[in-house]
Order: sequence, then structure tokens, then C-alpha cells
Amino acid sequence: MSEQRINRMKDLPSTHLLGTGTPMCSGCGGLEALHQIYDVLGEKTVFVNAAGCMTLLSVYPFTPFRGSWLYTAMASAPAGAQGVRDALDILQQRGDMGPQEDLDVVVLTGDGSAYGMGLSATSAAMDRGLDFIYICYDNEGYGNTGQQSSSATPHAAITSTSGGSRGYPGYKKDLFSIWAAHRPAYVATVIGSEPLDLARKIEKARELKGSRMIIALAPCPTGWAYDPKDSVEIGRLAVKTGVWPLKEYIDGQLVHTRIPRERAPVEEYLRLQGRFAHLFTPATNTAMIAEIQARVDRYWDEVV
Amino acid sequence: MYRIRIHGRGGQGIKMASRVLGSALFHAGFNVQDAPKYGAERRGAPIFSYVRAARAPINERGTIYNPDLVVVADDTLLAVPAAGTLLGLDAHTVVLVNSHQSADTWRQRLNIDGSLLILPAGTETEDRAALPHIGATCAGAAACLLGVIDRDVLAKAIDEELAELGPDTVTKNRTNALAAFDAMADQRGCVEEGAAIAATDYVPPEWVEMPLDAARVSAPIIRASGNSVEVRTGLWRTIRPVIDYDHCKHCWWVCSTLCPDSAITVTDNTPIIDYDHCKGCMVCAGVCPPHAIAGEPEYLAQQRETSLTEREGTDATDTADR
Ligand SMILES: Cc1ncc(C[n+]2csc(CCOP(=O)(O)OP(=O)(O)O)c2C)c(N)n1
Ligand code: SF4
Ligand SMILES: [Mg+2]
Repeated sequence: MSEQRINRMKDLPSTHLLGTGTPMCSGCGGLEALHQIYDVLGEKTVFVNAAGCMTLLSVYPFTPFRGSWLYTAMASAPAGAQGVRDALDILQQRGDMGPQEDLDVVVLTGDGSAYGMGLSATSAAMDRGLDFIYICYDNEGYGNTGQQSSSATPHAAITSTSGGSRGYPGYKKDLFSIWAAHRPAYVATVIGSEPLDLARKIEKARELKGSRMIIALAPCPTGWAYDPKDSVEIGRLAVKTGVWPLKEYIDGQLVHTRIPRERAPVEEYLRLQGRFAHLFTPATNTAMIAEIQARVDRYWDEVV
Repeated sequence: MYRIRIHGRGGQGIKMASRVLGSALFHAGFNVQDAPKYGAERRGAPIFSYVRAARAPINERGTIYNPDLVVVADDTLLAVPAAGTLLGLDAHTVVLVNSHQSADTWRQRLNIDGSLLILPAGTETEDRAALPHIGATCAGAAACLLGVIDRDVLAKAIDEELAELGPDTVTKNRTNALAAFDAMADQRGCVEEGAAIAATDYVPPEWVEMPLDAARVSAPIIRASGNSVEVRTGLWRTIRPVIDYDHCKHCWWVCSTLCPDSAITVTDNTPIIDYDHCKGCMVCAGVCPPHAIAGEPEYLAQQRETSLTEREGTDATDTADR
């Protein structure tokens, strides 16, 4: 493995590879993470994108990417990645392509694909040890079609399919653990509001071979109902409150890359988002907030 | 038949406006069609919705190309050709613009001979939390201009259509919409129904014929790299972040790293905002450690720039004269 380049904030790129002018929402937390990720991965990549908000990045005749991009159905991005990987390998075996021209195959999907529809294809790709990078931008719902709940939606959140005073009755699926149970080369959680942690993890993933799996929590002003200017603040609070643990799975080990010593109360995170407004108005739902807090506390009790 | 097009930005309640107007017309005894433009609408992007209403069954479908009333909820869209606000206007079309500028200013700038009315804009552009209410306000004004919707019918339509958003939101929208309805009293009924269009008069939209080639020839393939920069998403902006270089500490480019749109580039340790692409999310202002970035409403920034170029223009002529 080559030495890490990015050690301090000043090492982060100050000019950016991903083109401006994309149709993503103003303040999109997913795009914030993607542009940072792309700066580290570089242009020798080919993106395989399942249907979702980010499909709109490359709408004919425009693309923000420097290299190729391929569109697949929601459940099939890892299968598409297998095809692209195979094609690249065959071209190299035949001598039609030099090893320097090789590309990293990068799957890009939302949580609807990653946690749900595409989970089976992803599992199979990891079983086969497919050499690829998977980036899931997790906006905790089916954003592109109007934020229906997905299996990444957190408990109590209002979505267009979970309304009322209680919001989403289910609990966010632990995709990190499901992915890690396949023992792939690398699994990590990241968030755009923590750019140094993100860049170091993407660098690590880039240097490894095999299945490298990344989940980026993606604050979504449209689906989570908050002012776009708060995207970074909400991301930072997700980490400070312990709602979004920053961690990685590498060499069979689980490592937390950031352990908030004193966790801020989850209330601070929830309060900024319209999808949790029903927990505060007309009256504060102390029981529900306490339940959410208890789940976070239980998680960290097991960590430390 | 009434044909109404409502233009705004994703997040301003434009779809809601067409639903309110549609419901009100329905309660007033009309057959109604109302729909938002279908597509990849994103918060801040130009969008539109439309309403058709007639006493007889409506057989027309699709986008409205010959409107009787065009409502523009955000005047910055008038300068955006892609928004298509002026599509199909003729002398009988009434244009209602939510703006800080006067009707004369817009009539001159747009060279419109039909009637152009102003719905005076409030301070919404400075307070984005108020933006979703613009849609209902516009619907209220439009309802009055049509002249066939009573005040209480408008209120009923708002109560019904917004019910799921909770009583506070309903009340705010109802108050705004009724105030806009009252403000238009002098113009009540100024919009006239357009004539029916016979199928024989139908002009197909302009399109490009695509021959039926094999998929590998005809499937859309983008043979370019990073060409999304051709898309001027700066036109989405309602608030403009401005860097005060006296206070910028030339840190580790926090703003540039965290800008979701890659719209801040650092040259010689100095961040520069690309206003052709900045969507005005204002993330940069919130994260700048020394608070060196402040927001200016886009319409004020544009007024400032226009008066600057106009003044420069006069100066230039002065010199030439001498
Ligand atoms: C099999 C299938 N079902 C439904 C759709 C419609 N669809 C397109 S995008 C989308 C939402 C995807 O959600 P997610 O993967 O979380 O991505 P996001 O839109 O949130 O970015 C849906 C349901 C589809 N394209 N394919
Ligand atoms: S809906 Fe959410 S995830 Fe999708 S583009 Fe908008 S902000 Fe980004
Ligand atoms: Mg999603």
C-alpha cells in the first residue's frame, strides 16, 4: 500500500474535478460528499450508477464526470460493475489496453438501492470478491421520487409514506454490519461535513484491491426539510450526537475513527430537521426523543 | 377555456399553487386540469405548473403554449430563457410578476405589449423560510384576476389542499393568499378565456427527428468530459454569498471543500466563488471560520450590477460625445 498523502486539512484538494452545473438540489449533502470523493479517486474511474437522484448528474448531453458513466436499473449496479470490470480485464489480457490505462470501477447508488433493492446483487458481488468501490450516498429515503421511506429511514422520521404523529415506525437497517459480515476488503462510513476523515478513508479504499464499500450519510435539504445552508451543520451534529458513527472495517477489524467523548444530545440533531418537527410541536414528545437517545447510547455503550 | 401557467423555482410551492387554483376553479363549477411539469425538478431549479379550466369537458392535454394568464412567482426567472416564462405570450395574455420592480420596468425590459401586473414582492427572498408561501400568494392573486372565484371559495381550496401541512401553515398561506386576492381587486376579472383550439389548428412542437438507428448508433452517448459546466446553475440562486476579502483568513479552504457544487476554487490561497454555477445554498457562509462570507439577496445584487453597468454605459457615451 502506498503512503497516505492526505494527513492534514491543508492536504485537501482546493480545486475540484467534478464539474459544476449539475442538477442536484442546492445544498445537497450527497453531492458534497461525492465531489470530495471524486477529488481523491481521480478521473481514472468509471461510474456505474443505479437509478436515483444522482442519475441526473449525467443527463444527456451533459456530465460532470471526466470519464465514463453507465446507468443501470436500481437493483443491478453491482452486476453492471462486474460487466465493466470483466471488460477491462479482457481488454488488458488481449493487450488492447495497457495496465496504466486501467480504471477503477465505482458503483454509485442511493440508500434505496444499497439498503434494499440492490442488496442481493451487492452481496453476490462481494461473494465473488469483485474488485470495485461501492459508494452509497444515504439520504435515508427514496429521494428522487419524493422521499418515500426506505430501509435506511431512521425511526420517527416523516417521509411521504410515513406521516402522522409517529413518523416512520421501523428502524434504520445496519448496512455497515451486513456488508462487513461478507468480509470484503474494506467498509467505511463517511460524511461530507468531515472532509479529512472522508479523504483518508477514500485514499485507503483506493489503494486496496477487492470490494471496497463506502456509506456516506447525505443530509438532504429537500427530503429532510431544512434550509440548504444547514447541510454541514446537520452533518456535524450527526457525528457529534453519535447518530452517525464514523468507522471502518479493515483486515477483519472494526475501528471507530472518531469517538465523540461527550456526545451532544440527539435532540440538537433532530430539532434542525423538518422531518422531525412533529417531535417538538405542538408539544415535545419526550418519550420518543428519549427512545431515540437510548438507542444511540446503547450503540456507544457497546463501543467503549 | 382558461389556460394558466405558473412559473417559479423548486421549493416555492408552485405545484401547490396550481392545485389550489385548480381546486378553487373546480368548486366554482369548472372542469379542471392541473399538473406540475414532469421532470427532474430540484429545489431552486426553474419549474412550472399549469391549470386548464372550462365549463365544457377539456380535451386538450400537455403543456400550455397559448396562455391567458402567466404567473411568475420569482422575477429572476424572467431572465432565464430555459425557464420559458414568456413562451406563447400574445396581446391578450395577462402576465403577473411577483417582483420588487415596477410594471413599467418589466414592460420595457421584456418588450411586452399585453398587460403586465405586479404582485409586490415582500422580503421573502431574504428569508427563505417564507418561500414555500409564495405559491399560495400567487394563487390568491391569480384567483382574483380570473374573476370567477369568490374569496371564500379560495379559502376553502387552500384549507383542503394544504390540510396535511398542519394548521399553522394553512393559516399563514390562507392569510397571504387572501391579502393578495384583495390587493388585486382593481383588476378583478381582467383575464379573458382563450378561444377553443381546433385539432386542425394544432401546431406540433418543434422537435428533432431521430432516425431509427441501431442502439449503438442512436443511444445517447456523451462524448465529452466535465461539460456540465455549460449549464448555468447560477441562475437558480436567490441569495448570493459574497466573500469579504478583508476578513478571509485564507484558511485551509473550508468553503471550497464544503461547497456541494465545487463552485469555489482557491487560487493563490484565495477562494473565488463561481457565480455562473453557485446555486446560493449558503453552506459556505455557515462554515467560514472568521464569518467572512455574507448573503446578499440576488435581486439586490443584480440591481446593483445593472445600475453599475448603466452608469458605466452613460459615462462612456459622455466621453464619446466630448
Ligand atoms: C425497480 C425500480 N423501481 C422504482 C424505480 C423508480 N425510482 C427511480 S429513482 C428512485 C429512488 C431511489 O432511491 P435511492 O436509491 O435512495 O436514491 P435517491 O433517489 O435517494 O438518490 C425510484 C424509486 C426504478 N427506477 N426502478
Ligand atoms: S433530493 Fe436530496 S439527495 Fe436528492 S438531489 Fe436533492 S438534496 Fe440531494
Ligand atoms: Mg435515497
